[in-house]
Amino acid sequence: MGLKILVVDDALFMRNMLKDIFVRAGHEVVGEASNGNEAVEMYRELRPDMVTMDIVMPMKSGIEALEDINREFPEAQVVMCSALGQEALVLEAVQAGARDFIVKPFKESRVLEVVQRIAGGGA
Amino acid sequence: MDMSKYRGMFLSETAEHLKKMSALLLALENDPADRDGIDALFREAHSIKGMAASMGYDRTAELAHHLEDLMDGFRQSGVVPPEAVDRLLAGTDLLEGLLEDISAERDEREIADFLTSPAPSKKEVEGTSVSVEPLPEKADDEQPEIEAEASEESSSEIVASGRLQLVIELAEDAAAPAARALIMLREIGRMGTVLNSRPGEEQLRKGEAARKIEITLQSDRSADEVRASLLVMADVERVGFAAPVAEPRARRREDGSRTVRVRTELLDQFINLTGELITNRYMLQTSVREESWQETRAGLDRLSRLVTDLHHHVLQVRMMPLESVTGRLPRVVRDLARKCGKEVNFCHEVADIELDRAILEHLSDPLTHMVRNAVDHGIESQGEVSVSAWREKDLVVVEVGDDGRGMDVESIRQKAIEKGLLSPVQARGLREREVLQLVCHPGFSTAAQVTETSGRGVGMDVVKAEVEALGGTLDIITSPGEGTRIQLKLPVSVAIIQILLVECDGKTLGIPITRVQRALEIERSEVRSSGRQMVVPLDHEMVPLISLNKVLKLPTHATGETVPVVVTEFRGRRLGLVVDRFAGQREAFVKTLASPLDRLSGVSGATILGDGSLIFILDPQALLDGGPGRATNRLVGEDA
Repeated sequence: MGLKILVVDDALFMRNMLKDIFVRAGHEVVGEASNGNEAVEMYRELRPDMVTMDIVMPMKSGIEALEDINREFPEAQVVMCSALGQEALVLEAVQAGARDFIVKPFKESRVLEVVQRIAGGGA
Repeated sequence: MDMSKYRGMFLSETAEHLKKMSALLLALENDPADRDGIDALFREAHSIKGMAASMGYDRTAELAHHLEDLMDGFRQSGVVPPEAVDRLLAGTDLLEGLLEDISAERDEREIADFLTSPAPSKKEVEGTSVSVEPLPEKADDEQPEIEAEASEESSSEIVASGRLQLVIELAEDAAAPAARALIMLREIGRMGTVLNSRPGEEQLRKGEAARKIEITLQSDRSADEVRASLLVMADVERVGFAAPVAEPRARRREDGSRTVRVRTELLDQFINLTGELITNRYMLQTSVREESWQETRAGLDRLSRLVTDLHHHVLQVRMMPLESVTGRLPRVVRDLARKCGKEVNFCHEVADIELDRAILEHLSDPLTHMVRNAVDHGIESQGEVSVSAWREKDLVVVEVGDDGRGMDVESIRQKAIEKGLLSPVQARGLREREVLQLVCHPGFSTAAQVTETSGRGVGMDVVKAEVEALGGTLDIITSPGEGTRIQLKLPVSVAIIQILLVECDGKTLGIPITRVQRALEIERSEVRSSGRQMVVPLDHEMVPLISLNKVLKLPTHATGETVPVVVTEFRGRRLGLVVDRFAGQREAFVKTLASPLDRLSGVSGATILGDGSLIFILDPQALLDGGPGRATNRLVGEDA
C-alpha cells in the first residue's frame, strides 16, 4: 500500500524528481512545500505518512521545520535530504529527530529503500 | 565568578604551552646553550604558572613555578645540563597529568614527591624514568566491563544468553557516517537493549565518524534476525558477530585538533553564499563567452559583493567575545591583591567586544600580565584596577588602568641611562611619551625587587612584542597621582588586512594600515634639515624623515614637486618614511613567509596582487630595528 508523502524542497526540479520516484513506486505525493514555514503548515493540514525535507531552504531551514513538526507530532516520519558535504547538518537533523536521510544526487533505489523501511517500521 | 567556563580554554592553551615546552626541551638537548631556547622555555613555564594561578589550580601553578625557577637558574648559567632536561621533561609530564586531572574534574594529583626529589644524577636517569611516579593511567574509565567478559569467552560468537556482539561495517562511500550510525543505533534499540557501543552515542553525536561500529545488544531475537533487519538499512555493508577487539590505547589522547562552535544559521548562510557564487560563475562564463561586457561588469560587481559578504561571514566564525579572556581576571586581581596585602577594586567593562580567536589566544597572557603589573606596581596599598574595551574604527582598544601614583618619567629616564640603554644626551632628548615606551624594553623593569608575579624580566617587552606581532600597538598614558593607563590597539581580525601600497625604485611594497598614521604628499620646499637629519613640520612637531629606499638599500630618486611620506610610529615617536610613489590601498590576504625567507628582517609576510605579482609586506618597526635579533640594542636617534 502506498504512503502519503509531503515533499519539501526549495527547488522545483528536486521536488519533481522525488515526486516521479514516489509516484512510480505507487506512493502518493499529497503536497509540496518550498520552504520550512510552508512545510510546517502543510504538515498540520495534510498529516502525511512521511516527509522528505531539504535541509537548506530560505525562510525556515529544514532542521527548524523538522523541530517544529516533531514538537507537535512526535510520531512524524521526516527524512532529510542533504547534499554531499553537509555531514554536520545531517548529524544535527538526526539528533533533532529526523528518521533517516538521503543524499543528493538521489538514487532511486536508495530513496525507495528508505520509504520501504518507514512503511515497514510504521506499520 | 564561575571559572568553569574558562576551563576548556585554559586546558587547550596550557596544552599548547606544554607542547612547546617539550619541543624546546628536545631542541635544548642538542644545543644546551641556546640562549633564545632557554628564554623561551622560561616564558612558557611562566605563562602556565600565571594561567594556572588565575584559575586557582594551585598544584599546577606550583609545579610550573618550580620549573620556571629551574629555568631561571639556567638563564643565569647560560646552559642546560642534560640531566636537567630529563628532569624538566619529567616535570612537563607531571604537568600533563595535572591537566588530565583538571580535565576530568578530579583533584590535582600530588606533586610533593617531584618537588622534593633532588635533581637526579646521570646514572639514575639512564636506568629508570627519574623519580617521578609514572602517571597513574586511568585506563578503565571508558572501557566497560564487557571487555573482561569477552576475554573469558573470546572464541564464542554469541556471548552470554541473549547478548549479541555486533560488528557493523558501513559502506566505504557512506555519506555522513556518524549520522548513519546514530540512526542505526536507534533502530537497533528497537530490537533490544544496547548495553554498549563503540564509538559511543556521545562520540557519534559529536560527529566522530566511524565506518565500523561495535555494539553489545541484549535481545531475544536471533542473530540472523538482527542481521537481516540491519542489512536493509542504507549504507550498511556487513554485519558480523564477534568478540570485541581491544582498541589500542594510543587513540585515547586526542591530537588536540581545535574546533569551533558555529551557529547552524551561519553555516546555512555559507551554503547560500556558495550557491550564489556558483551561479555568479556561470553568469560570468556566459557573458564572457558572449563578449557581453556590460553583463560581465555587472557580474564582477556582484562577485565582489559576494566575496565581501563571504569574508564578513568567515570573520564571524572566528570571532569570540573578549570576555572569554578577561573573565578570569577578577580572580587574578583578587588573589594577587590578597597576596600583596593590598585592597584592590576591580572594574571590568568589555561588554560585546569581539575579536578574532587567534588574537584572543595571544592576548590572554599579555593582558594577565598587565593586570598583574597594575596591582603589583600601580597600586600602592589600595586603589582600583580597570579593564575596559571599545571599538575605534577598525580597531579594538583594550585598556588596563590603575589609579595609583602613576609612573615617574624621570626615574625611568634615569634608569635607562644606568642600564646603558641610552646616553644621557639621548635620554634628555626624549619626550615623555618616548620615555614611557622604554618600559617596554627587554630587561627593563622598574620594580625594585623581584616578585613572584611580575618583575624578572618577563614583562612589558613580551607584552609589547606580542601585541605588535598581532598587528597592534601599545600606548602608555600616565600622570603623576592619577595613575597609569596602558592601551592596546588591536585589529579585529587577522590574515586579511588593509595595506597601503607604496613604490620604491619601481618595486611595490605593502605596509599594514595599522602601522600607518598618515600618508601624505609634502611640498619639497617644506622639508628642512636639522643637522644631518631631514625633518618636516607636522602638527607643530618636527617629524624626522627617513628614505625607505635607503633603508632597503635601493637607489633613491628625488624628483617631483612633492614628497610622498608615510607617517608611522617608531618607539613611541613619529617618523616619516619617504617613498617614491603611493600605489593605492587594498585588502590583502597576508601569508607568512616560510624559512629561510622568514629571516628577512622587517618583512612580515607577502601577498599576491590581482595581476599575479608578489608583494612583500613591511613591518616598519622591525625594519628600522634592523631585525628582531638586534631590536634590543639600539634606539633610533640622531643616526636615523
